[in-house]
Amino acid sequence: MSHDDRTSILGSALNVSRRGFMQGAAAAGAAAGVFTALEPKKAEAFAYEPYPRDDELVTVPTSCAHNCGSRHMLVAHKKGDVIVRLSTDDGRFQGPEGGYGYDTEQVPQLRACLRGRSYRARLYSAERLLYPMIRVGERGEGKFKRASWDAALDYVAQKMIDIKQKHGPQALLDQSYAGASYGVLHKSDQIEGLLGRFLGMFGCRTSSWSVPSYQATTFSSRMTFGTIEDGNEDDAYAHSKLIIMWGWNPAYTFHGGNTFYYMRMAKQRGCRFVLIDPQYTDAASAYDAWWIPIRPATDAAMMAGMAYYIFTNNLQDQDFINRFTQGVDAGTMPGWAAGKENFKDYILGTYDGVPKTPEWAAAICGVPATDIVKLADLYARTKPAALKASWAPGRNSNGEQYNRMAAALQAITGNIGKLGGCAEGVGKGWHAEGVAYPYDEFSNVWYASIKSDRWAHLVLNYPNLKREEIGLWPRGDELDGVVPNIRGIFWQGSNWFNQLTNINKQIQAIKKLDLVVCNDSTITPSGLFADVLFPVATHFERHDVALPWYKGHYYIHRPKVIQPMGESKTDFQIYTELAYRLGFGERYNPRASRDYFHHDDAVDEAYLTAWWDKVQHHQGADISWEEFKKRGTYKFKLPRLHVAFQDQIEKGIPFNTPSGKIEILSTTLAQTQDFTRTAWGYPIPSIPKWTEPFESLNHTDKVKDYPFHMITPHPRWRTHSIFHNIPWLRETYDQEITINATDAAGLGIKNGDVLEVWNERGKIVLPAYVTERVMPGVVVVHEGPWLDVDKDGIDRSGNPDFLTLDQPSPAGGFAYNTILVNLRKTDLNHRPGWDQLATSRAHVFRRGV
Amino acid sequence: MTDNHSGPESLAGVAAAEEAGDAARPSYDKERIKVAVAERKRTTYTPVQPDMQLGFVHNNMDCIGCRACEIACKDKNGLAPGPRFRRVMYVEGGHFPDVFAYKVNMSCNHCAEPACLPTCPTGAIFKRQKDGIVDIDSTLCIGCRRCEAACPFGAPQFDVTTNTVKKCNMCVDEIDAGRKPYCVMGCMMRVLDIGPIDQIRAGTYATKAVGPGDRTVRQVRNMANPELTNPSIAFVAHPKGKVE
Repeated sequence: MSHDDRTSILGSALNVSRRGFMQGAAAAGAAAGVFTALEPKKAEAFAYEPYPRDDELVTVPTSCAHNCGSRHMLVAHKKGDVIVRLSTDDGRFQGPEGGYGYDTEQVPQLRACLRGRSYRARLYSAERLLYPMIRVGERGEGKFKRASWDAALDYVAQKMIDIKQKHGPQALLDQSYAGASYGVLHKSDQIEGLLGRFLGMFGCRTSSWSVPSYQATTFSSRMTFGTIEDGNEDDAYAHSKLIIMWGWNPAYTFHGGNTFYYMRMAKQRGCRFVLIDPQYTDAASAYDAWWIPIRPATDAAMMAGMAYYIFTNNLQDQDFINRFTQGVDAGTMPGWAAGKENFKDYILGTYDGVPKTPEWAAAICGVPATDIVKLADLYARTKPAALKASWAPGRNSNGEQYNRMAAALQAITGNIGKLGGCAEGVGKGWHAEGVAYPYDEFSNVWYASIKSDRWAHLVLNYPNLKREEIGLWPRGDELDGVVPNIRGIFWQGSNWFNQLTNINKQIQAIKKLDLVVCNDSTITPSGLFADVLFPVATHFERHDVALPWYKGHYYIHRPKVIQPMGESKTDFQIYTELAYRLGFGERYNPRASRDYFHHDDAVDEAYLTAWWDKVQHHQGADISWEEFKKRGTYKFKLPRLHVAFQDQIEKGIPFNTPSGKIEILSTTLAQTQDFTRTAWGYPIPSIPKWTEPFESLNHTDKVKDYPFHMITPHPRWRTHSIFHNIPWLRETYDQEITINATDAAGLGIKNGDVLEVWNERGKIVLPAYVTERVMPGVVVVHEGPWLDVDKDGIDRSGNPDFLTLDQPSPAGGFAYNTILVNLRKTDLNHRPGWDQLATSRAHVFRRGV
Repeated sequence: MTDNHSGPESLAGVAAAEEAGDAARPSYDKERIKVAVAERKRTTYTPVQPDMQLGFVHNNMDCIGCRACEIACKDKNGLAPGPRFRRVMYVEGGHFPDVFAYKVNMSCNHCAEPACLPTCPTGAIFKRQKDGIVDIDSTLCIGCRRCEAACPFGAPQFDVTTNTVKKCNMCVDEIDAGRKPYCVMGCMMRVLDIGPIDQIRAGTYATKAVGPGDRTVRQVRNMANPELTNPSIAFVAHPKGKVE
């Protein structure tokens, strides 16, 4: 299908006829009097004309469903079984006190972002997967033929049996992720999703334990606070006097339904903002922040310099330290830790003779010592102050040391557990009731568990590798330390092949497998490497309840807005049906009967009503399930603003750590004898320390060949890779490499010039965005474009993960931002996406439209 | 390159040129232009004097530039790639590390004296009496694109799939139902709003777009002279976007 064909299909599919509008709607009648006498033309059930007014359409509240830190309301306006347009929360769904325009600080509207607003284009996109497909060409070639559900299911079931018999219980790799999710029932999840339960019950599953976005941060939060729920709710941000956005761009990544908006309120109330980031972000400009550019992967050093200033000027909150922390200084060291290092003496240089002064830090991080002092002073003297230690600097080798160091700063300034302060870290706020799917001892059964981005290394080197190379999680049985022989991969809500590090290595590895199965609603780059594609109903086509997994205290009902398109089924239906064919269907889905594959409504309703029962009893929701369904949302009014660890600080409740304290000295790490027997594999210091990254601008030997440090932040116009194919969003940005204007001038690079960017792992091609908003020596490429490899192995889409390193940090953090590269102008074409010049994959799925 | 880059690039260029001073530009007799514009308007048509003029207000400073308004608009109006009724322009300037950035968000300004209206050879463009909304009757539009050329703000957008020109009509269907347009109701930061433009300018209209202590202006840098058409839009300007 040619480019032109595709454009016109999209055009007609999304086009609203304004002529129809003028004839149909009385709106314009007053001015163009000639039309007032016309009867409104009756709207047809299909397509998008004539233009119907909102009040003529059926309105169904639902939500977005992609994998971001937020969850917003979408209101579907439909005619028959077609969604004609989407709007968002306008205050009418707030319960009794609500009404059009109702939008208060306590109960704000949940307005969807640009991605959520584009969902209709995704639902009806040319890349929508509607029928089961089985590969006919070579793996990765992208040639499939349509298959019947029976044939596809039987094929997969038989392969699963063969693989398990031949290679044992570790041979199938679960690479599920949260891409199709956040619902309480139809859950795709890396650890405990529907796929994990299915493979675990089948008795053949290797799981992937490290989380791409924030594993280093998770590690830090668990070690320091004993939980990842170290976050405030978004409304607490309105009460800070100082917000330090460390590598955090709330104008791009929407963490919490209204975080960015509450920060605007804080600004109006006199809050000051600071940004520590190699880029001057849109958040910095909107909040008028003091921008401190920093060399990537050196954040922990700058923080150590701040700690030095705070300690040596006696600005720490010593009372807080004494009462709530372990290991900040000699006075807070536990009895068992005699001879171990404490944080303050490390900072002062007592052990290694190197005081971590602001000048010492400046040489590493590139921030002038005077700025480090100024910021440390500001942070220590402003109460309350929120140091929001975002995930991105944690996506570095030894990124956990950055997050651990941040937690130390939060603790020594006494900003934990206080309104306006911040202990984030991971930053998960209010605890939602997230489980409507069957949950029991089979929900997370695994026979091996590895660091997620080591699978290709494992497959390529099996069996000649050590357990620590793949971060093998310890077990208490004979499978402990057994390196798995991976023979197949399952994807659910996951485009990991496009998203994990070092894609070229993955391309080699996937060819060695016997089975690759992909569940998705869209044909993705991962799907092109699958053997079987199962078409999955989107969240508009199945019954569920949405929740914000990160911040936000509300639920949004998600009814079956339209019937599933094509032959798509829910993930739950697919795995239940496979389970029946493999002999454990009744156990896998206990509320279902054998015909669940064709009749899911009553069963899903039963799961959800049982879940709402828990919400009513555990969380005190005061309306019935029926009322909730009618209203569309339920927003909790909390007795006070949710601030992490407020009870620990105010009531003296112990933290969930071995010592019950904030563990700047980690008991677990300090008492670990042999790190090779742990999932981390390699030693990790028990107190936060500056640790040299794999590579950085300070590595003069490497910088000779690769003079630029590349960072790969989350984009605003995609959620990771989701929405990359949406033409509306493609109009708002280019996949490009951001480069400092002075650097660019030195290389003769102008705005829009196409560059090739490479290192020893791969090469990508994309246009340059030349700006003063990024520091010299640093380039920025947003993650997630759909890979598009030419015959020479060069990625023309500009996917930075062809250049990233698959060597994870010891704590499991992905080193997505630890990359040195070189670049130059090129004659090679950039292929920006499926809707434009790139090789169209849609011919594979021609639907005769 | 898609056209969003003409945004930052060209606007940054304008900012740079203005920083360099007016000496670098050709000089015009601004008074003569003013007289000519007034003369042209008077001899061409008498604009509708609406009972009340609705207009937009946008906070250039607090806008995070997310473009949710743009996508809400595309979806509401069912537009294929190409026409963009609403455009959030990214402006940036300065030199590392002293940089600045702000956003100027514009669709159709529903001008008091719309330049598009008198250029239309078929009379398709009209201005509503009750609220001053400027709209195009698409059953009359022949796609000649004269209005597109006449508008100093780039509001009319040519749609290749229908061979007609389309533009923002402030969601008249929503206005007539007593609601606000999709872009306003989609603004995550609550920095975009509509209201009677006189009240917005007088600071008497209650809106979250204008913060405490903020003042609105009729013009910001990088924007065409409002005297050309008297656009119904007000901005809270970024300090670097202020015009004396």
